[in-house]
Amino acid sequence: MDHKSVVFASVFPVPSLSHTTPTPIATPVLGYASFGPSFEGPAADTAGAQQRAVRRNVAWSTATRFLSLPKTQIAADASFEVRNRAQRTPDVEEALEYLLVGEGRSEDEREQGIVEWFANEATLHFAAVVRPRVAALWEKEVHLSQACEVLDQTQRILERAQNLYFQPFADHLLPFLHRHAAASSSSTVRHYEFAEPRRPSEADIARQRFQREIHAAFTYCVSARRFTKTLSYALYDMGCAVFRVYIRQEAGSPQAKFDNISDSRRRMVSLLQGLERVGLGGDNAQRAFAHAMDKLMGSFIDSHYTKVDWYSRKSVVPHLRMFIRDGFCPLAELVLECLKCQPSSIDAKELQVWQDMALGRLGRARVEDLFDYVIRWDKSLGAICDLKEYLKLPGAKQHLTSNFSQQVSRRLLHPGATTTFILNVYISVIRAFHELEPKGVLLERVARPIRRYLREREDTGRIIIASLLVDPNDGGSSAKTAAGVEISYEIAKEMAKPLSNFSSADADDELDYGDMNWQPLPSDASPEYKKSKGEDVIWFLLSLWDRDDFISELKNILGDHLLRCQDPEYEKEIRLLELIKVRLGDEKLQACEVMLRDVLDSKRINAATRINEEKEKVLKTPEKRAPRTPENAGPRTPRTRRAAAAAAAAAEAASASTQQKHAAPAPKLNAQILSSFFWPPLRDDEFLVPPQIQALQKEYEVRFERIKGMRKLRWMNALGDGSITLELEDRMEEFDHLTPWQISVICAFQEGGEEGGEGDGGFGKSSSTRNSSGGKNKSTGTAGEGHAGKKSVTRTAEQLEEMLQMDEDLVQQALAFWTSKSILRETEPESGIYEVIENLSSSSSSSTAKTPGSASKPTTSSSTAAATATEAGAVRSQASIFASKKEIYQSFVIGMLTNQGNAPVSRILMMMRMVLPGGFPYGEEELRVLLEEMVEEGRVVGFVGGVFGVKGN
Amino acid sequence: MASNTVAQRLQKELMDLLTHPTPGISAFPSDSNLSLWTATITGPADTPYDGLVFKLSMEFSPEYPYKAPTVLFRTPIYHPNVDFSGRICLDILKDRWSAVISVGSVLLSLQSLLGEPNNASPLNGQAAELWDKDPAEFKRLVLARHKTPEELDAAGL
Repeated sequence: MDHKSVVFASVFPVPSLSHTTPTPIATPVLGYASFGPSFEGPAADTAGAQQRAVRRNVAWSTATRFLSLPKTQIAADASFEVRNRAQRTPDVEEALEYLLVGEGRSEDEREQGIVEWFANEATLHFAAVVRPRVAALWEKEVHLSQACEVLDQTQRILERAQNLYFQPFADHLLPFLHRHAAASSSSTVRHYEFAEPRRPSEADIARQRFQREIHAAFTYCVSARRFTKTLSYALYDMGCAVFRVYIRQEAGSPQAKFDNISDSRRRMVSLLQGLERVGLGGDNAQRAFAHAMDKLMGSFIDSHYTKVDWYSRKSVVPHLRMFIRDGFCPLAELVLECLKCQPSSIDAKELQVWQDMALGRLGRARVEDLFDYVIRWDKSLGAICDLKEYLKLPGAKQHLTSNFSQQVSRRLLHPGATTTFILNVYISVIRAFHELEPKGVLLERVARPIRRYLREREDTGRIIIASLLVDPNDGGSSAKTAAGVEISYEIAKEMAKPLSNFSSADADDELDYGDMNWQPLPSDASPEYKKSKGEDVIWFLLSLWDRDDFISELKNILGDHLLRCQDPEYEKEIRLLELIKVRLGDEKLQACEVMLRDVLDSKRINAATRINEEKEKVLKTPEKRAPRTPENAGPRTPRTRRAAAAAAAAAEAASASTQQKHAAPAPKLNAQILSSFFWPPLRDDEFLVPPQIQALQKEYEVRFERIKGMRKLRWMNALGDGSITLELEDRMEEFDHLTPWQISVICAFQEGGEEGGEGDGGFGKSSSTRNSSGGKNKSTGTAGEGHAGKKSVTRTAEQLEEMLQMDEDLVQQALAFWTSKSILRETEPESGIYEVIENLSSSSSSSTAKTPGSASKPTTSSSTAAATATEAGAVRSQASIFASKKEIYQSFVIGMLTNQGNAPVSRILMMMRMVLPGGFPYGEEELRVLLEEMVEEGRVVGFVGGVFGVKGN
Repeated sequence: MASNTVAQRLQKELMDLLTHPTPGISAFPSDSNLSLWTATITGPADTPYDGLVFKLSMEFSPEYPYKAPTVLFRTPIYHPNVDFSGRICLDILKDRWSAVISVGSVLLSLQSLLGEPNNASPLNGQAAELWDKDPAEFKRLVLARHKTPEELDAAGL
């Protein structure tokens, strides 16, 4: 364009040319009359101003036309590359200089500077050309998988736009400003250089302002929320890549993966630096980064540290700390540097905070699974160690206890869990929490619900005591004792441990002023907290109850156990009793001691009476008994005695085969004398034992009374056990550990008292005027059934009941037992008539031929026998006591309802508990059953709401 | 210690009563400390009280069994030896009490008193007179005065 037209345009703006020319704020006004002072007024100034305006306008027009950006290419040229610009012509240069640093500078608010104009121009260009493209990228929610690309693309577009705007700025505007600044500072400001920090030059200020405006435009073209989210995901993604590799590298192939790390790292750095360059770094990016790092830490812990170290059983916490220090922090520093944050390094305190944060997450993850760890103790030692570290954080204990309690109540304390299981878990809890926190405050807190629940279970005590008596070296073959009580081998193992330094149970440690190891109670201990006696599981278990309840339970179980015990020295029982004495005190365990002494004394008395017996026999019938004396010389243990019995049986077999009529060798009898006062209620079913045994009992009684003066024996035939040898036509069978009624029943199948039953007798209870003692006999002998060639004896259950004066259920049980052993059979199925199977092969073949169903019979009956045998413990069960006292209870209920009117079950129960002598040890359930029975009998009427009353009253 | 022996004795008497029940007689403690009992007597056959059920209260002092229990009819009864508050005039509950008398024997005596009133020393003169003179009127008054346990409960007694 030529000079003329420029001049013309400067005076009369031409629309076609003014498209880049904003109207100057001050429109040049040419030649107006000025009314100045009459002389020496500012007329020259006014004229100068007019002149300047014109000149500025011309320069402005020239400069803006030169600088204007090509907006016409919107549709055509999508790449909006920076074109090579024409070199500045002299007049453009002049115009720019005039406008930037010369007189044409905008001096006040009214005039727009060329710098501002250019910024405006760039913004407009951005809005028209670049923005739609960026907006297109961000229009929709960015899919996470494309986050990186979108960010990359955005960054590229913006970077190019930025270059487009900055290049003219840097090429054409800044040099003038710089030049000017250099000139002015060299002339005037030099001597201040050292005195004060260099003020930002005019050029810098202009540049920053320009940049700020451009960046503001960039920032607002992208939705901040969407951008933050995308960026945070991208960072997270790359971080994952970096760290996954970091771990794999550790695992073993460092070379192969090395590229990946640096790749990811480089990508991340370049992206972040790019974003920072185009002004997208700022707050949003930092927020995104914080998000990403937070998530990254979480998922890193999830993926790498939630795996418990089951093998080396070590804590992963040190490794986690190391990761935070050497892996996480450097990455964060790198990013901070890219984003130009201040300060870009991480100090030790921050590192500590991060480590704690990571530990907190790890701990919370561990707490979620704590119950599983406890169950798998002590393989889970690693996890527990992690938690130990976690507990050092504030609030961790609270979280752990509440969370674990929830898990326990959800997974353990429900009716589906067996008591044994709960006990085992409780033991694991004790051990694990002792490791977790040796002071025991946490243990006390989490164990409280478990203990409460265990107290409610009625079989807890039985299981504990039965388990205490079990030999852990049995190998755990059967999880049940003979009495059908499940046992916990954990407890048994615990019991087998040597007794640690156990101070006296009741000493109050807090008052021991001489204790040099005294420590204050933990600050977070609850009021009931007692210093735990270390890891003494037994102590925890024994302290579940009141001492008295526990001891009465102990009495029952110990009694049962002693009667069954095969160990003649009772070593374990003595040890147990001593251990419990140490824990519960001597005075309460008197009854148990008496029981133990009873069985030990019985042994001595047996030996004493036996010696007498032998003497007498030798004297009386030397010729007959002499051969057997050597065998019986040392009957100190049941084992040798049994051997003797077996030998005798062999002799008998020989004699039976010859059909001799002489009596079988006499059975032997060992009695146990029990002091009935101290023993728990025992089975006292009455029935007749085989006559041989009766005779022995008589004899024994006589001798006993001779030794013990005034005391009398009362035999308890239902207790005891015996061995018997049966001689049948085609075979001989030996049985040990039979119940007395089984022996009595089988002996009843013998003809005419010809066999030598070796039953073992019952227990006697002896009573003298002052104290009573009971005796239990163990006798061994042989029963020969020599009915070769004769018809087998048949008996019905009713006959047996009558003959033996035995309860029906005992008879049935014994019959079932012998049937399962193929000694007896029913002559006809369901006939109720039993006979001895003298000849096994023929009878079994015939019976299977006759009845196809009989093949299955032995199995069923044996199972019932097994089932009933379990109920036949020596100590009477609660249920049988209940049955025996039922009548009293019933008359009690009648009496109460008659006199006090109708009452609900709960009130009846309460009255029975309070008024009945010995209390009413049952619950509402049992009482309800009792009442229902009475309703059926018509003695009581049930009303709505569980209220009962007497009929007709 | 003293109250303990009382409780033991009462407990034993209760068990005796419950294990060897006598027809028409029953007693049971009203509260846990056994000092207050409720007893039930059924009127003997062939008397005006035939089939009627009477409730009594028995209160045992700490000196029991050396001192007689205080026995009152809770069910209103028309009887020569019982006043309208239920107080009873019976020698064994007064001067002829002895420690060997048990709850059961007291109740038995009271049951027989229903059939054989001691008209020589009546608390209710009218009843003593009517007993011999006008059995029908006597019976009518007995029935008029009697209330069943349900009615008593309803009255809140």
